[in-house]
Amino acid sequence: MSAAPSPDGARPASGTIELVNASRWYGNIVAVNDISFALGPGVTGLLGPNGAGKTTILHMLAGFLRPSNGNVLVLGEPAWRNVGMYRRVGLVQEREAVYEFLSGHDFVATSARLHGLPDPDDAAARAIDAVEMSEFAGRATGTYSKGMKQRIKVAAAIVHEPEVLLLDEPFNGMDPRQRLHMMDLLRGMAKAGKTIVFSSHILEEVERLAENVLVIVMGRLAASGDFRAIRKLMTGRPHTFTVRSSDNRALASAFIADPSVYGVDLDGSEALVVRTKELSAFALAAPRIAKEHQIRIVELRPTDESLESVFSYLVKQ
Amino acid sequence: MNRVVFSITLQQVAGKRRTLFIGLFALIPVVLAVLVRTAGANVEHEQWAAEGLFPVVIIGALLPLAALIFGTAVLGSEFEEGTAVYLLTKPIPRRAIVLPKLIVAWLATGVVLLLTGSIAGMVALAGTGDMQIALGFTIATVIGALAYSALFVMLSVLTSHALIVGLGYVFLWEGVVTGLFTGTRILSIREYTLAIGDMLSGTPDVLFQAHLSETGAIVGLVAVVGLATWFAIAQLERWEITAGG
Repeated sequence: MSAAPSPDGARPASGTIELVNASRWYGNIVAVNDISFALGPGVTGLLGPNGAGKTTILHMLAGFLRPSNGNVLVLGEPAWRNVGMYRRVGLVQEREAVYEFLSGHDFVATSARLHGLPDPDDAAARAIDAVEMSEFAGRATGTYSKGMKQRIKVAAAIVHEPEVLLLDEPFNGMDPRQRLHMMDLLRGMAKAGKTIVFSSHILEEVERLAENVLVIVMGRLAASGDFRAIRKLMTGRPHTFTVRSSDNRALASAFIADPSVYGVDLDGSEALVVRTKELSAFALAAPRIAKEHQIRIVELRPTDESLESVFSYLVKQ
Repeated sequence: MNRVVFSITLQQVAGKRRTLFIGLFALIPVVLAVLVRTAGANVEHEQWAAEGLFPVVIIGALLPLAALIFGTAVLGSEFEEGTAVYLLTKPIPRRAIVLPKLIVAWLATGVVLLLTGSIAGMVALAGTGDMQIALGFTIATVIGALAYSALFVMLSVLTSHALIVGLGYVFLWEGVVTGLFTGTRILSIREYTLAIGDMLSGTPDVLFQAHLSETGAIVGLVAVVGLATWFAIAQLERWEITAGG
């Protein structure tokens, strides 16, 4: 991936997918704000909290939203109003939408027919096999579980072997084994030279699958590049804990003497707010310190661990 | 025409609860015809068929409602249920989606109207020796069904409230406004259908007289079908998904 936002708004290096200063707003609400990036083959994860703009970006890439500003290019062509693009692009949307009266096989074979493939039934059988749904292919999709619907939608999206596959929260509803299998499938496609872009608000999913990550927060590209570097930024951020104990004041002075802690506030007489940059060290140190000083910890909880706060921290960086 | 889209749409329509509702609703003209025949000894049968059964019950109520239900379902339900994206991510021109859906909506409405019109007409006019009224008006309803279907398919691309807007057109515009302001009748599919029915049935003026000329009705029908279909295709080409994220 060639990363992204250059301060002067210069056009990034070309890839199979490009956003060039792309924005999208709905009335006064800015969903995507001046984002630029270029992606090539491989797996890229769009990571961000719900409502960050990930789906809007995927929809712009899929040609279902016109950028309010800037350009969105897929395989070198504008995505908006480009019907021919779908010969080379597949989309798996988040919504659990299938024709419930069709069997799994017919659903995928219909997709193959609409793509004009020469042997739609054979292509459907291969795609269904790839998502491990052959056993259930004869059943009506209306009887499928959420995870099965998700897999059959993936089969329908890859039946024409697209060069670019866009997936919106593809692992929703899948059990752990199905997730692992789907990850293997997407990795395999990436190895075969396909460009895979998927969105997720779950850090672990992105960590396990994506070689490259785009972190989207409040419509902006907060970070991009190798996942490990972004992960380091995330884990290296300050953490805060709220602690209630039998003697808050004594515990505060004991904590501040520990090298893992860099700040303690007494929140009235009710609780302590402890700040640390070494999460694991503090987690080990806290009970030991309390025991040494014969203080009973009643409550110890992270105060600021939501994904949103993690992403907000990245934006500030 | 795209046969795959046609086949999916046909299966969609067949499986909907609203199709059953329309099937039951379509029995009303037949039941009314039976009641009038059995109970209304003083009713002039041709007059009732030409003044009440066809213009009011079938063309005034059943035709627009059946067309509204099918016309807004064929494409509108795809948007509601999210399956539209499945079709729209295929390398097929948007007219290959709109046209089969329009034809299915027309066929479904047409079949309902053809059956109801034929049966109710035969019951109402049995023994009179004049089936021309039933034949003419029934064919007119099938023609009118195409115009209504085109209008309602277009509405379903334009708005997620196509059913409400369509009801407004049928009951407020055609039911009230065209009655109060006669000049607005040139913008009424019901009036076009009645004029075609009048022409095809050869009903004497003492029994029924349409407000529009035959030429005006034909031009109106062609214009509605052409413009609504073109606009639906154009709108689908620039359709934007509504869900954010």
